[in-house]
Amino acid sequence: MVDKLTIRRILGLYGIAAKMDLFWLLRDTKYALAAIIADLIANLATVSSVFLISVRFGGIGGMSPDEVLFMMAYSTMITGIFILFGAANNFHISRIIGRGQLEHLFIQPIPLKAQLATMGFAPFTGAINFVVGIALLVVAAIRLRIRVTPLWTILLVAFLLATMVTIIARAYLVSTLAFYAPVAAEEISTKAIEGTWLLSTFPLSGMPAFVQIPLLTILPEGLMAWFPALCLLGRPPLGLGSCYPMLYAIILAVFAAAIFRKGMKYYVTRGSNRYLPYGFRR
Amino acid sequence: MYKYYVTARMSAQEQTNGGILYSLPTVILKICTLIPLLFLWKTIMNAGAKVEMSLPQMMTYTFLSSILSDMLVVKTPATGWLSEGVLLRLYGRPFSVLGQLVAQTAGGWVPMLLMYSVPVLFLAPLLGVRLIPASPAFFLSLPLCVSLGFAVDFLFACLSIRIRNFSWLIDRVRGAIVVILSGTIIPIRFLPFGIATVMKYQPFAALGGSPLSIFVGAGDVREILILQIAWNLVLWPAALFAFHKSQERMVSYGG
Repeated sequence: MVDKLTIRRILGLYGIAAKMDLFWLLRDTKYALAAIIADLIANLATVSSVFLISVRFGGIGGMSPDEVLFMMAYSTMITGIFILFGAANNFHISRIIGRGQLEHLFIQPIPLKAQLATMGFAPFTGAINFVVGIALLVVAAIRLRIRVTPLWTILLVAFLLATMVTIIARAYLVSTLAFYAPVAAEEISTKAIEGTWLLSTFPLSGMPAFVQIPLLTILPEGLMAWFPALCLLGRPPLGLGSCYPMLYAIILAVFAAAIFRKGMKYYVTRGSNRYLPYGFRR
Repeated sequence: MYKYYVTARMSAQEQTNGGILYSLPTVILKICTLIPLLFLWKTIMNAGAKVEMSLPQMMTYTFLSSILSDMLVVKTPATGWLSEGVLLRLYGRPFSVLGQLVAQTAGGWVPMLLMYSVPVLFLAPLLGVRLIPASPAFFLSLPLCVSLGFAVDFLFACLSIRIRNFSWLIDRVRGAIVVILSGTIIPIRFLPFGIATVMKYQPFAALGGSPLSIFVGAGDVREILILQIAWNLVLWPAALFAFHKSQERMVSYGG
């Protein structure tokens, strides 16, 4: 019998995930803190390298160092939200599929969607990048004298949401391969997410159109920070308009959902057998 | 040596067991990162900022960094050897564990060299990249960089044993350190606020950034080689000692 999904139930599931995260922090404080610091170092090293270059060269492609800082703050917030809600491989879904762990979710009396949406919530150990991202955004906004109005804040939230949908939809789209080739494609979501991480921090301003356009369409790394940051600064690039990232996210999500469902149908008829009797993966 | 050669060959074949199709995402990603990175440098350097490297030097630096990426910052399977069951496989064979790791890692470079590095070489003239080293010392610096890379990797592996198998945590920190401290993506000499002066003496600077700088003729060859040799002399004994001490701490039950 599957539980009825209500807002209250969903919030309850987030609460359970948060409680488990807090228990990990309290039970294994030393390692939980090490994980928090590692997440912070990993992100700051990536974004600071681009920022340091912009400082050294007095800007990149018409973007001032402060504008690059704003873009890096946006990127840090995205990384923060990703870790905050994706701490249980629920965004790296090819790992769950490839390791044969989807069955673990099937036996729970809660719809799969609800489990995947809530299981990775880690507000105690996963929030550090999000907090640092907000702090960097505030610093950049002050230096750039941005007028923060309620409308601007709503736009910021909408862009963050669109970027997250794009990241997750793409991860689920490529992860569909893991239904068919669980061993070979187990880490394909890592390629789609972490493999493109550095690329998503590149300011594309000043680059030729034949580099910019593919990075806003085929491989949407320009939508991860550069495009939204310029929209929030009031300069949507390439005349595409501020609603382009939202539109892209919706189309990609619909397409990814259809393909993923097809993969699921294949999986439930074939299953996965990744584990050897003594514990190692095949 | 034959057993090491066979280990390396097995490792190379292992990468393509599922068919080369599954390596394509990595190849595509590498190309999709390389081209924007080259244009990023073009955009930055054409803006007229005065730096110690010319645009052609920077293009070559970035290009070479991409095609030799596995060698410039070595990563063995050792960091994940407890969670992935690598440990069981290595200790079950009658030859040196570290030797196997070196052979396995070097063998693992071959498919990507053949599928990515060699084909991309043909793009070099189109991208304005000159693939002739400015100094023959590059051919000494590269092995020193690889050797130091193994020592650094073994130290990280010992750290992963020490902190109870948090291999992903080690991976993240190492990845972050490499981005900024090794100079493979951004030359250390480009860092602002005088950071570059201090950073060039730390051990990670003797990794990828060193042979790349020698190749494009943007560094003091003598100083770079001395630092690389010095760090090899310091870190190899440290890695061997740490590994010897760590063996008794290993606990593994697969992944």
